[in-house]
Amino acid sequence: MFQRHDFKQIDRHLFEVPAGYRKDMRVPARFYADEELLKGIITDNSLQQLINTATLPGIVKYALAMPDIHQGYGFPIGGVVATELPDGIISPGGVGYDINCGVRLLATHLDLEELRPYLDELATILYTNCPSGVGKGGNIKLKAGELDRVISQGARWAVKRGYGTEADLERTEENGCLAGADPAKVSQRAKDRGKGQVGTLGAGNHFIEIDVVQKVFNETAAQRIGLCEGQIAVQIHCGSRGLGHQVCGDYVKQFQKMIPRYGLNLPDRELVCAPLSSTDGQDYLAAMKAAANYAFANRQVLTFHIRNSFEQVLAGKVSNHHVFQIYDIAHNMAKVERHRIAGKKVQLCVHRKGATRAFGPGSPELPPVYRDIGQPVLVPGSMGTASWVLVGTEGSMAQTFGSTCHGAGRTMSRKKAKKTIHGATLREELEDRGIHVRAGSMSGLAEEAPKAYKDVDRVVEVVHSAGIAKRVAQLKPVAVIKG
Amino acid sequence: MMGFEEVEHTADKALRIFGSNLTELFLSAAAGLTHLMAAGVSDISTEIEKTIEMDAIDAESLLVEWLSELAYWAESEMLLFKKFRIQKATATHLQAKIFGGKTSMFEKHIKAVTYHNLKIIKTSKGLEATIVFDV
Repeated sequence: MFQRHDFKQIDRHLFEVPAGYRKDMRVPARFYADEELLKGIITDNSLQQLINTATLPGIVKYALAMPDIHQGYGFPIGGVVATELPDGIISPGGVGYDINCGVRLLATHLDLEELRPYLDELATILYTNCPSGVGKGGNIKLKAGELDRVISQGARWAVKRGYGTEADLERTEENGCLAGADPAKVSQRAKDRGKGQVGTLGAGNHFIEIDVVQKVFNETAAQRIGLCEGQIAVQIHCGSRGLGHQVCGDYVKQFQKMIPRYGLNLPDRELVCAPLSSTDGQDYLAAMKAAANYAFANRQVLTFHIRNSFEQVLAGKVSNHHVFQIYDIAHNMAKVERHRIAGKKVQLCVHRKGATRAFGPGSPELPPVYRDIGQPVLVPGSMGTASWVLVGTEGSMAQTFGSTCHGAGRTMSRKKAKKTIHGATLREELEDRGIHVRAGSMSGLAEEAPKAYKDVDRVVEVVHSAGIAKRVAQLKPVAVIKG
Repeated sequence: MMGFEEVEHTADKALRIFGSNLTELFLSAAAGLTHLMAAGVSDISTEIEKTIEMDAIDAESLLVEWLSELAYWAESEMLLFKKFRIQKATATHLQAKIFGGKTSMFEKHIKAVTYHNLKIIKTSKGLEATIVFDV
């Protein structure tokens, strides 16, 4: 376990393990926390995992972790690693198995009082219309060869098929399609896993949630984004399903053979990687983009199901049941981006594993509607607690390669959560608090209990105070749909 | 002695597996994974039989491959296997027959089998490893 003297405090909420801590570190390891979060961070293996990432070839400045850091595999969850091109590495494990796991936020013209009489029915219809749970296939049948179009075009494929609008694409990271995706670099097994799952939620910590905007902290940004207090919003949290899992697994396995070729000396085989300039690195990047596009398409089709559900339950009963998109953002991804290092703009491969891109105002990558306020950042809380909408800042560009936190971050193991929390009781507690719950598995529900997570408000307080994102609005759940 | 036990992991699932030799270690791993995926599932049949033959660069990679195969069938075909007959197991080659059946539910979805800190170690009783699964 780490001791206080192993790291130093750089700023109120920023800590550093110096590069001299371990011989194989190429750069220092920095993480954001407050005193309370620190207690949790030093008790599992997350700092060890962060330090391991500081050994990766081509890493620049620091191995970074956001305040929701917790133990994962290979990289810690909440980790950000940037490597300099052309020879810096790309690591499939640094993106994770759920490639482009991310969050989409939708909003409505409804307030809670108008929705309340229909909320329970809406939760049931959402659970019915949005396939969830292990092995649950979707109801979208793909024609022969169509999966290749899904993974080449991402959310645009879905919009072409009538599952969304141009406005949805405009308000999605990369307009819902990463250029350079190559279906030929995706294995048949990955395609087999993905072909029946377009428009499905999956299980684990994925969810659809109906929220009410509890409090606005930045009126100007909230107005621009399209949020106001009392308004009903909807979050989708899911990723690239079996296709993404298989892509990551395929390349982690394939890269194991390359360890001698690239002279890698890795503290953990899950960190296996290849120079981005190599054919291996380029192949993985093209496959990762394909999986990321699958995830964008997946969230787009789920959006379609959500809109249909609102229509089905609310048409003719409320003044306006239209559901519009706020933003869609990934939190498991590697991207080639330009950042300023020592006064010079350089090309980096930025890995964000359980971390969200948080580009500041003026970034050309942002859609015109958000360019002057900074990129919306969507931070889902644990089930039953608040979620947050933030915006990226100049601070995130300067300190964290334009990155910030992605959620609350776990603090209790799944095994312990299952042992100490009773799923059905938890469901009753949530229902008593006015949160409608639809879940396929009570043990799965127990594993995702709020008690198993850090305090998301505290995590957001740290990123806000550290200047790596700015608070805009806090959301409170009123219905949760889980696999 | 062979078997498995679940060990604490903050975000995912982890199993410690043990056996007196590679064959037993692989059998323990398969039984452990089935337990994670289907602890609460009764009546798994053994009517479907599959032949597995795989090669890998080392025993750890072979272990990941072996378990990934089971996780793949679970997700893609809702197939759960509960009987495993290993015909040959070396550090780089595995031949087995597996027996299972269709299920309509799972206890836990296994997204992937990771290499995280994976090392098959020799102990006084045989072999042991800890495997982390992304869930």
